[in-house]
Amino acid sequence: MPKIRSKEYNMQLLHPGHHDVITEYDYLLTACGSDFRAYQILRMSRDFGVLFRKVLFFNFEERHSCLDSTLLEAFQSYEGLGLNASLIGCSIKDPSTCVKALRDSDPDFRSATKVALDISCFTKPYFFCLLKYLKEQTMISDVTVFYTEPMSYVFSKGLYQSYHSTSGPLSVMEIPGFPGNDTRTTKKVLVVLLGFDGELSSFITEDVAPDDTLVINGFPAYAPKFKEISLINNEKLLISSATGPVLYSRANSPFEIFNLLEHLYEKETSAFFNIAPIGTKPMALGACLFALVYPAVRIVYPLPQKYADVTTQECWNSWSYEIPFRTT
Amino acid sequence: MNSLDLFRNPFSDYNANAMDTKKILDYWCSPFSFFKSPISEQDIYQHDMPIVFMGGRGTGKTMFLKYFSYPVQRDEALRKIASGISGNILSFIKSRGGIGFYLRFDGPVLRSFEGKGLKPEIWDAVFTQYFELQVCKSYIEVILDLVKREQLPRDEIDKEFVVRVSQKLGASAGKCRCIEDILSVVENMLEEITSFRAKIGFSSVQFVPSKPFAAQDLSFGIVEIAIETINEFKDGVKFVIMVDEYENYVERQQVILNTLLKFVTPGITFRIGMRLEGFHTYDTISPKEFIKEGRDYTKFVFEDILIKDQQHGQRYGRFLMNVAQKRLETVQEFRERKFLNISLFLGKRENLEEEACNLIGNEENKTKHFDILSRTELLRTKLDDKAIKNIKRVISKPENPLLEVLNILWIIRGVEPKTIKKAMDEYLEKVSSPLAKKYGLDYVNKYKLSLMILLASIYRKPKMYYSFNTFCFLSSGIVGSFIDLCRRSFQYAYFEDPDTLLGKGLIPNHLQNRAARDMAKTELEMANRIQNYGHNLYLFAKNLGNLFEKYQKDPLMRYPETNQFTIDASIRGDRELDDMFKTALQWSIIQAKPSLQGQTPGASKTDIYTLNRTFSPAFDLTYRTRGAYSEKLDASYFKALMTQDNVKIRFGPRGKKAGGKSVKPKSKEGLQQRLI
Repeated sequence: MPKIRSKEYNMQLLHPGHHDVITEYDYLLTACGSDFRAYQILRMSRDFGVLFRKVLFFNFEERHSCLDSTLLEAFQSYEGLGLNASLIGCSIKDPSTCVKALRDSDPDFRSATKVALDISCFTKPYFFCLLKYLKEQTMISDVTVFYTEPMSYVFSKGLYQSYHSTSGPLSVMEIPGFPGNDTRTTKKVLVVLLGFDGELSSFITEDVAPDDTLVINGFPAYAPKFKEISLINNEKLLISSATGPVLYSRANSPFEIFNLLEHLYEKETSAFFNIAPIGTKPMALGACLFALVYPAVRIVYPLPQKYADVTTQECWNSWSYEIPFRTT
Repeated sequence: MNSLDLFRNPFSDYNANAMDTKKILDYWCSPFSFFKSPISEQDIYQHDMPIVFMGGRGTGKTMFLKYFSYPVQRDEALRKIASGISGNILSFIKSRGGIGFYLRFDGPVLRSFEGKGLKPEIWDAVFTQYFELQVCKSYIEVILDLVKREQLPRDEIDKEFVVRVSQKLGASAGKCRCIEDILSVVENMLEEITSFRAKIGFSSVQFVPSKPFAAQDLSFGIVEIAIETINEFKDGVKFVIMVDEYENYVERQQVILNTLLKFVTPGITFRIGMRLEGFHTYDTISPKEFIKEGRDYTKFVFEDILIKDQQHGQRYGRFLMNVAQKRLETVQEFRERKFLNISLFLGKRENLEEEACNLIGNEENKTKHFDILSRTELLRTKLDDKAIKNIKRVISKPENPLLEVLNILWIIRGVEPKTIKKAMDEYLEKVSSPLAKKYGLDYVNKYKLSLMILLASIYRKPKMYYSFNTFCFLSSGIVGSFIDLCRRSFQYAYFEDPDTLLGKGLIPNHLQNRAARDMAKTELEMANRIQNYGHNLYLFAKNLGNLFEKYQKDPLMRYPETNQFTIDASIRGDRELDDMFKTALQWSIIQAKPSLQGQTPGASKTDIYTLNRTFSPAFDLTYRTRGAYSEKLDASYFKALMTQDNVKIRFGPRGKKAGGKSVKPKSKEGLQQRLI
């Protein structure tokens, strides 16, 4: 089985400053948002040594429909960045239709060879679908994924048990393109990549009803205490459903989680593997890579009626991850 | 290794979906042994008509269906063989009269058969193909297991059954030589669907199966072949398809399955597990046909049996005690010490007198409840301080504050202080007099719990929820809720007071109370996340809780322990309100109460609903349901309770004269006031 080893992957912390070589991309796919980090890569592109010839903004109808004036201003602030940009209307509930229409929404996109994706403000189902689309429906051999860490998250009523990334009713879905294959399996395993929103993990576990539930927490985390917050917020899952001890994987490394998932998968060859990537985006990216390599793995995700308007504060580090489609 | 290392919370496994066959057998507690039921255990396999098992979350539907499914029955047979009770697996199954094929598809799978730019008719075809193949796979796996265990003759199976099934599946000649090959063909066909589902999300791939199947092709077709070709199945072994979580099927999928239900043939039937109101439609594929209860299926509601019984007997309690015992037996520490009776861990029932004394024990002003007598709005005749002091002196009983509150109530109702004292004294001295009898009935049978709730509200302290009896009531006929209450109690006890738990087999009251309150809060918050109308259901539960809280903290106790309501017919006539109402029932936010009486005496019979008693601790409400008065919800009030936060609470019966002027209610309130 393939493994992504440290010498084979490229994960770089982006440093602002002078760059002798500017890396140029035909396209950047990114999502509109009112979080400050939404346009950090675009704001800092020259400092980070990257250039985007065209930017496709995914504009979620649910996000801009009920923003107050301050948030709307932040949401639309990309307009002042002087970009060659196109806006693609889309709905949180239906990534499939939007991704299917991508090829037709911009005729030049078909001939693109160097594409980047900023996942900082994409919903996870969207960037999963986009990566699968780019891998299987285009000739692109690799993609660069950008991600900006938040300085902190928004905790409305104190650090513990008050973080909610979503609001309203939930329904657990298979991410389109990632149904897995349970046909010849004998048991169902759910791997939960822990996030702060404890309700989500319980909700998914109840719906999926696995035989075993494995839990992976992000550690080292972006900041001290984040590890503990996610453990405390997911107390119900840990007490009632988790099989075995909590496992840990670096919160900002998709490649580390890939290897951990592969290690777990090798031990459960006859199981129907389900992954719920409700933790950090880089960890979710690792799960996505893993499911692209192992299509029998299913990705399940809670689809809310609405995501919270702002869940993060300020920006911390920005990263770039090189995702080699053809070798993985 | 000390005892702490050995401890495992016996109530931590509460999801039957995640239980293996061994656990299901270990924890199984047959409801047929405890309850009078309209269906018998034999009916599970032998009743020709499909049976729909309805129940709220945690009522035990999955446990029930899984227990009667093949893998569990096979292991049950193996246990019986080991103990010399049964001869072999097949004879055990034959004695049952059928084989259960358990099917549960999770929500994400079912919801994946829609959208993505594909027409619904195409999804219908894909889903039908998927369901037919899954049922077929389930049949083949069981027959294969019986062959491997030498219960069915391999030669005969491979000779005729395999050949005919192979033809049915359209497999090329010679591809299927044995039953394992059949399974492989079915699995390959299922993978065609999986592959399609993987691609349709981001491409325009067409669904082209190697052989398309219509409804019944395999689900009924394979059974026909099995009965015709396998001698062991010829003498009346029924194939029982057990479909769990039917409410998860989207409407169009239910149409497909409803059609199967309607047209069952001899030798095959269905057992469906679903939430209350879990049918999204009664339609079938044929536009003129629909399924109807009684004609096409038998309905069995778990709570009907459990709640009804809870009101009229002790069977529910005995059942829960047995459920708990099976779990306690799995913990070595408890088994060795014979700590197997849950009512001893929790205490049989609460001691309200002790609770009342504890409640005001640390208060500076221990007679705050007498302040009611200075609330002039409650009394027709204003009492001055001297009169109150005098009354207080006569009716005081500091060692039992609950009696004092009852005495105050009697004062409000116009009874002379001397008479009250006489009644109390005679009651306490067990004198056989009409006055003592009346006092005793009021105290023990009628008001004791209400007095405690009122006392707690006067001192602004929470009512305590503890004891086996209380947990039985709080679980509201839902076995899963009882298990969850126990799980939380054991968890707290293990964390905070392990010596008492493991050494004495006791859980302190305050930890039980914390568990009950935690659960109420969690369940209330979780209502928000219900897929449809989640926030409405949360508001409804919260508003109903506030409404009943007002009734239960009424110092006049005009409608003690009121926690039930009726609904106006117009609610069921409004599509959206009806949907909200049905969803509230489906998720057991509210529960239907067996219709025993009208809303008020003299009124016609009507459906009565209660707020799930699990929520009681969140509002300091009674854990019982008594039938004196029901709040009537009309459409506008119902809508307000469902959609608005902190709705202005109405209180007591309402009526209108022809001219629209309010009518003074002819209730106990009026009578009581006249007595003063």
